[in-house]
Amino acid sequence: MPDEKTGRLDEEYVVQMKGITKVYPNGVAANQGVDFNLRRGEIHALMGENGAGKSTLMKMLFGLEQPTSGEIWVNGEKLTLSSPTVAISHGIGMVHQHFMLVPSLTVAENMVLGMAPRRGLFIDHAKAVAITKEYAEKYNLHVEPEAKVMDIPVGMKQKVEILKALVRGAKILILDEPTAVLTTQETVELFKELRHLKEQGYTIVFISHKLNEIMEITDRLTIMRGGRSMGVYNTCDVTKEEISRLMVGRDVILNVQKDKAQPTDVVLRVRDVEYVNEWHKKMLDKISFDVRRGEILGIAGVEGNGQKELVDMLFGFLTPNAGTVTMQSENILGLSQQKLRDKGVALIPEDRMLYGIAGSASIEENLISDRSAEKRLNRGPLFNMKAIHDEADKLIEDYAVLCKSRKQQVGMLSGGNIQKVVVAREFSGNPLLILADQPTRGIDVGATEFIRKKLVELSRSGIAVLLISADLAEVMELSDSLIVMHGGKIAAYFEDTSTLTDDVMGEYMLGLKAQSEEEIRRVCHD
Amino acid sequence: MLNFLKMLLTPEFFFSIIRISAPILFATLAAIVVEKAGFCNIGLEGLMMFSALTGSLVSYYAHSWVWGLLAALAIGVLMSLMMGFFAFQLKTDITLVGIAINMMGSGGTLFLCKVITNLTEGTSMASSTGLINSNLLIPNINIPLIDKIPFLGSIISGHNLLTWVAFLCCALTSVMLYKTSLGLNIRAVGENPNAASSVGVSVLKIKYIAIGFSGLMCGFGGAFMSMYYAAGWSLDMVAGRGFIALAAQAMGGGECLGGMLSSLVFGFAQALGIKFSAVGLDSNLASPIPYAVTIIGLVIFSLVRRSRAKKLHSAAALK
Amino acid sequence: MTKKRQILFSVIRGLLAILIALLVATLLIFLSADGGSFGAKLSATGDALKQLLVGPLFRMGRSGAAFDFKRLTDILASMIPIIFTGLSVCVMFSANQFNLGAEGGIMLGAFTTGMVAVYVPMAAFLHPVVGVLVGGLAVAAIMLLPALLKTKLDVSEMVCSLMLNYIIMYLIKYLMNTYLADKTKGQIQSYEFLETSKIAPLIDNGSKLSWGFVVAIACVVLIGLFMFNTRWGYTIRMIGINQAFAKYSGMKVATVIVLSQVLGGFLAGIGGGIEMLGRYPTFSWSSLPGYGWTGITIAILAGNNPWFVPFASFFMAYLTKGCELMATYANVPSQLIDIIQGVIFLFFAAEQFLSKYRQKLVVKTAQEELATKAALEAQKGGAEHA
Repeated sequence: MPDEKTGRLDEEYVVQMKGITKVYPNGVAANQGVDFNLRRGEIHALMGENGAGKSTLMKMLFGLEQPTSGEIWVNGEKLTLSSPTVAISHGIGMVHQHFMLVPSLTVAENMVLGMAPRRGLFIDHAKAVAITKEYAEKYNLHVEPEAKVMDIPVGMKQKVEILKALVRGAKILILDEPTAVLTTQETVELFKELRHLKEQGYTIVFISHKLNEIMEITDRLTIMRGGRSMGVYNTCDVTKEEISRLMVGRDVILNVQKDKAQPTDVVLRVRDVEYVNEWHKKMLDKISFDVRRGEILGIAGVEGNGQKELVDMLFGFLTPNAGTVTMQSENILGLSQQKLRDKGVALIPEDRMLYGIAGSASIEENLISDRSAEKRLNRGPLFNMKAIHDEADKLIEDYAVLCKSRKQQVGMLSGGNIQKVVVAREFSGNPLLILADQPTRGIDVGATEFIRKKLVELSRSGIAVLLISADLAEVMELSDSLIVMHGGKIAAYFEDTSTLTDDVMGEYMLGLKAQSEEEIRRVCHD
Repeated sequence: MLNFLKMLLTPEFFFSIIRISAPILFATLAAIVVEKAGFCNIGLEGLMMFSALTGSLVSYYAHSWVWGLLAALAIGVLMSLMMGFFAFQLKTDITLVGIAINMMGSGGTLFLCKVITNLTEGTSMASSTGLINSNLLIPNINIPLIDKIPFLGSIISGHNLLTWVAFLCCALTSVMLYKTSLGLNIRAVGENPNAASSVGVSVLKIKYIAIGFSGLMCGFGGAFMSMYYAAGWSLDMVAGRGFIALAAQAMGGGECLGGMLSSLVFGFAQALGIKFSAVGLDSNLASPIPYAVTIIGLVIFSLVRRSRAKKLHSAAALK
Repeated sequence: MTKKRQILFSVIRGLLAILIALLVATLLIFLSADGGSFGAKLSATGDALKQLLVGPLFRMGRSGAAFDFKRLTDILASMIPIIFTGLSVCVMFSANQFNLGAEGGIMLGAFTTGMVAVYVPMAAFLHPVVGVLVGGLAVAAIMLLPALLKTKLDVSEMVCSLMLNYIIMYLIKYLMNTYLADKTKGQIQSYEFLETSKIAPLIDNGSKLSWGFVVAIACVVLIGLFMFNTRWGYTIRMIGINQAFAKYSGMKVATVIVLSQVLGGFLAGIGGGIEMLGRYPTFSWSSLPGYGWTGITIAILAGNNPWFVPFASFFMAYLTKGCELMATYANVPSQLIDIIQGVIFLFFAAEQFLSKYRQKLVVKTAQEELATKAALEAQKGGAEHA
């Protein structure tokens, strides 16, 4: 039930964002005509999948980005928020997902950075500590002023961030996925503190996609999808299922032509893998699955539920604490990237600019990075330049890379064409197993379609494909069978994706439901 | 052997350690502060060369060591700010800026020395040693009372003004870094520039202050070399102290106290080398000792850091 | 930006950097010039500049400047060591390794080769070859130290190689003083190199232009091929551009980092050996020769591309010669070269130098592309209407 639209400036709204549109210089429209209102003293959830435009909207409210069109009103005043400093001066504070703290400084020092109290030439440490204590007590946010930030737990770091905003006079707090890094106990504590802040008249924006938390803590919620607002609701008036349906859904139904998969023998076998990250959070919890020749196994899930760690582990970038991973019955844990590639593993990396390419090298040089030592490309000690040129030209043609020549710098290409270069290399190296991590993120429609088609083609030619994607449409349409990850665990396994609906997916992805162990166990084809 | 030990355990020997450590300490402080601000200035060597030349020449022409010292400091700061301009504004790789300054500090100072003094005879070698008399040197300071203490008194008292300044600067730098808001800002900018700028601290300004500070310290170090230690300027007289300082910074864990101890270790190595050559060891065999100690020191430091990290990691895995 | 414009921009930028350096030089020459009046100083500056810019190739006489072949060969001869250090630095910097050990490397190579030339008799043709190779291998072995410390223990290769320079210099001086010097001579120098070891001159005009120059050019070709036409050179460059990418692609990152520094050391080493046997009768260096630092400037000027090293070397040798001539004929100390070198270096490496001009070019190119596109579409539209 959408909130009634108010044309006039209402006293009850501390923030009104009207018709906000944001188009980035690269042409991506992150927000389109979004309306967003905050009532004084409420906890307001901003929900949506990755890439729905939540962060962009909040960045504009905090002055980190400027809207292409639309108006922002704060306390009945129309503002141009040109920088965070301006936003802070109007009482808007933001707690970023990646903390803006200096690890080797103490809590108190971080609190007063840039506004340190002085006594003569020196910092008045006692006063800094006193200020910290005063605010910590007033808002019931327990921190240790004298401890170094690097020594305190994540939960306390977050409190320091909140206090930092409060001490600078923030009345409106934007919390960007505050519970993503917290343990359950820490989350409980945070909620207590947020309620306390609310009672004192503070307004809080809570960015999240965890349904249970939203139901528990917020008064109202705005749902975003594909850069647009899907409406504003009173939290008590909607059910989790409704939210899930509004939030998770395909904006476009892809029509990927594919025959039914005929999977044969198992290529990759993962058993009981566990991984605990450096902040002691269990990112992979007893993960077991198989990937077979001739099928695309999809891994769906909201980002941050262990997918990244899984890929890193499969490609030798991190070692799990427990479990086994074999490829055609041979252990592949602890192998170098070179050995993995020799065994036939290919990876389309999520961060293509960091891992996928050498930006200032030519397209050709990027295309041969995994095969520069192969005999057919060398003649004695020298490169066989003709063979390399032919290889590059062929790949450029086969994968329709739009470029002036193979000598062009790869970094000068558009995102879609850069990804095509990566894909061309990874797909053409005779792989046995392709790990495709967010293969079409942030690239144009043409390139996206092309890459998806190729993935299907390759799987049908007998290659095993593991597709990791936060794009629901992609993972549901492309995959033959599908795993849903939630909280480092496999929440569900679907042998056949053709009958799956968005609603069902949403419930598993957001942790409303989980399959039984026997059901999940079916992904192991022993 | 016993005789040699006896030779070592003299007040003169300990005195010389402190004396030799002073210029390295200046440069180490420079390295520490820029490192805290998040970058590495390898041009310390060249900065010291320029300051050394300026100090000796200005004191000669102005007939006063005070002016010489002030000029050395000023040129150190000016040159370092220029480095900052290239590195921060024109985005030249800071390492390359440092190499350029070192190049200019080597032959370029000789050029300036020849041009200014007209001492062109002897094309390859030139120095300002002949111009500097004892009145133009920075004076030594005797401390009443302390110099009466046996043994210890003759180690501590009688040092050059700048030796005192070096150790004083060490304390002051530590205070500056940890007790003032400038130091707080420097450390914040070095560790997490985003965090600093998000609360309104100007990252660029802080970087300029840090590199300017390194120039100031190199000014002291250069003045120490030409206006006391070697009593005059000569080609390549700084002899790698600017580079040793980079190692001392790393070995000292980036802290002032550690840096001071590392400087003393290098001072000890060099003083030992001098003693060795005094008992007949070829000076060419004694001179490389501090450089070798630097490499060994870096290796030990790295091993310690590594095992500590390992322990931390295994502790984390246990939890 | 189109390729043509990009090249044009690089050329303009480079020339401007050189121009600024020459302006600074002019100012310094003017300040140091003899003469009481402004006019006298100005004319002295003019004379000195003539020596700097024209002198290296032309002899100044009453009747004007005349091309001097001997001076050209002098320049070519002095290119020999710096081509090698330039190549050495190119290889190491390409892998993003700031190893500054070419300076000590060339001295160690010269020393080792010199000792082979004095003490190990061999057949005439074989002797210089073996001598130079031994020199190269000695430096290659030494460079294992910074390289392995970097890859195994993450010790800064820069500090380590700088320290090595000093250690090498002092140890060579020690060995010379104590064991190897010809005590009958006034200065510290080795015994004479055996006749069999000498590298023959290319031209017999007293210019010291030896066959070493041919070897140097051959090395440029070899290293050029190595860097751009072999898998190892390719891997070195990819690591230099993006180490994470290289690792992800399955390249042997640590091994190749070591390889780059060992090869860099080898090049500096044979450079020292060839310089020794082609120019000197005995080993008499008592301090670091400075060729390593010039090598860094050359690598920067050449953009770490071996093919450009001969040109950058010629440029540096030309300027150095000019500075020497100024010292002889115009009383300007020859060390001016270090200041010129430093200034060129600073501007050449400055990414943002002329960035506004670059931005304008980029915008202009984009606008032109849009305009052509619009024109094409208009044409198309027109055709449709018709």
